[in-house]
Amino acid sequence: MNDEPKSPARVGQGMDYGEQADVQQVHAAVQREKREPRVGAEPLSIWLIAIYGLAVFFGGAYLGRYSGNFTSGGLDPMGAPPPAKKAAAGPAGAEQVAELSPHDRGKKVFSANCQTCHQANGLGVSGQYPPLAGSEFTTGGSRRMAMIVLKGLQGPVTVKGQQFGTAVMQPWDKTLTDKQIADVMTYERTEWGNSASPVTPEQIAAFRKELANHPESFSAPEVLAAPDQDLAGGAPAGGAPPKPGEAAKPGEMPKPQG
Amino acid sequence: MNATGIPLKEPSVSAAAGDAEQLERAYIDASTRVPVLMFYTSAMAWLILGTLLAGFVSFKLHSPDLFSDISFLTWGRVRPAHMNVMVYGWASMAGMGTAIWLMARLCRTVLRYPLLLVAGAVFWNLGVLLGVGGILLGDSTGYQWLEFPHYAAIILFVAYTLVISWAVLMFRYRRGEQIYITQWYLLGAFLWFPWLYAAGQLMLFVVPVQGVLQSAVGWWYANNLLFLWFGAIGLGTAYYMIPKVIGRPVYSYHLATIGFWSYALFSSWTGMQRLVDGPFPAWMITASIAATILTMIPVATVGLNHHMTMQGYFPLMRYSPTLRFTVFGAMSYTVFSVIGVLISLRSVARYVNFTQASIAYSHLGLYAFFTMVIFGSMYYIVPRLVGREWRYASLIKLHFWASVYGIGLMTLMLLAGGYLQGADMQNPSLALSESIETAQPYLRGQTSGTH
Repeated sequence: MNDEPKSPARVGQGMDYGEQADVQQVHAAVQREKREPRVGAEPLSIWLIAIYGLAVFFGGAYLGRYSGNFTSGGLDPMGAPPPAKKAAAGPAGAEQVAELSPHDRGKKVFSANCQTCHQANGLGVSGQYPPLAGSEFTTGGSRRMAMIVLKGLQGPVTVKGQQFGTAVMQPWDKTLTDKQIADVMTYERTEWGNSASPVTPEQIAAFRKELANHPESFSAPEVLAAPDQDLAGGAPAGGAPPKPGEAAKPGEMPKPQG
Repeated sequence: MNATGIPLKEPSVSAAAGDAEQLERAYIDASTRVPVLMFYTSAMAWLILGTLLAGFVSFKLHSPDLFSDISFLTWGRVRPAHMNVMVYGWASMAGMGTAIWLMARLCRTVLRYPLLLVAGAVFWNLGVLLGVGGILLGDSTGYQWLEFPHYAAIILFVAYTLVISWAVLMFRYRRGEQIYITQWYLLGAFLWFPWLYAAGQLMLFVVPVQGVLQSAVGWWYANNLLFLWFGAIGLGTAYYMIPKVIGRPVYSYHLATIGFWSYALFSSWTGMQRLVDGPFPAWMITASIAATILTMIPVATVGLNHHMTMQGYFPLMRYSPTLRFTVFGAMSYTVFSVIGVLISLRSVARYVNFTQASIAYSHLGLYAFFTMVIFGSMYYIVPRLVGREWRYASLIKLHFWASVYGIGLMTLMLLAGGYLQGADMQNPSLALSESIETAQPYLRGQTSGTH
């Protein structure tokens, strides 16, 4: 307080900016103030000391349990192996997103190419497009089905006791790859209650070569002349998993967003 | 301002009207007017800017394409700009303003060397301005809360040196025997901040540590900025405001001592618990978790000390805005610390680490605790500096409840969202929580815009 400016010239200047406020009002806040804080000296409660003890105990126990012996090699994560959830969400999860199962890939091929005629429910259109659900061609051996998909079908055909004949099934060997054809066939053979064996791209590749010198579409009698059996090189009946990695994880597929 | 640079005016309290203490306080308050108001008004301006940026950031989360072809308005730049404006522009400046006023009062001497503070405020503003500009122009360093490019960091450091020189000088001029608890915390904060900031800058940019250790340094800095800088100023302010407003001594000196020193000892070990399951030697992370558990000691001690001081006086919160804000902040400090311990335990951290829950934790510390305490002190200090009472009590009330509502909802949403996010590696509540985050500081900024 020793350098209070006391010259009368400063009265009313400084930070007042010439305002004519009531003196008492301006300093009302200071006047009603309680005195500066002081400190009491209550003793420590026994409960607080107990809390200190608990904190030190748990902190120490934690340090002992998870210290990794204070070596530089004792890397996190510590203790139990990380939960499966964490592992699935890691790199493995990302891989799954990138690589769908043949069934799911086939569904995309089906939506893009087949659904217009055979319908999303696989029932076709009565009198025009034959059904795939429960059809003897879809659920039978994959050889007959592959003939139709690769080269197309013309002329009258009987499916599930119904006559069809007006529409033409187009050949897909020029449009779709081996993998796409295998996928869509796998999809059709396992969807809508069908449960036939899956088809691999290798089977289709081999069969495509076999049919290379058959330029035009098949007719129903030609297809029926072929043996009702699976393509060579396929999995044994009962449907062995196409790839071990994909079959092991379908339950862990990330849920679709939103 | 007069020739000496010390903004003094004749105290208007006549000797008859008040005792010597009142006269002294009136002088001291008058002397702090210019520097403290400079820090406060700058802080308010940054708060409004930071809030606008926050609104923009959260809008980008809904419509990422908005302005996406303008590089300085992309999310990756606006978000760090927003955070740094809040941390360095708003919280640090407001905290320093309160700390300056408290230092002068508790040293019981008129504020000396105000030019140091004025220059400090100018440089600090310049540093934040350059830093935010640098971030928006793409100069961000990419470390959380250290995004300011080096040219801004240097200016901030210069500004800070001015402020701390002032604090040390003031402390030497102090009168009276006792050094009050608040001064321990304030001096601690003033000395801890340069340690944190220098360590962060040196170990990340000047002589960078290698590889993953950089993230260890980064998290240590961010966590301790919350504890040792904002936390210490906030606790110190609460230690002054609570007994001051209710006019009763602090419950116990012993509790205060234990609370302060255990805080200083354990807090500085924390930070790495945010990196559970990261590629570090386990003992580094475990040491931080153990230290976080041990922070329960200062939390329980300080909490009990404040509670026992307040006991029987809680109804006063209805009448004093300062008390209301301060007590809410002090309670939030306990909540913040308990949640901090919970989410650092490995079994929990495994799910909430690196999720929104981590952000909820930072928000609890910075907004629910620190900002609320600082608002409480502003409601106390500003009338003494401008010589006018608050005009609208209803606005203060609105400010308080809007803040409580916003902070509570935001924190709960972020915590819940963070847990779900961690458990499912999904993010169902992100949009919702962010929109609340937007609304919350906006409300606060608006109502506190009455300053």
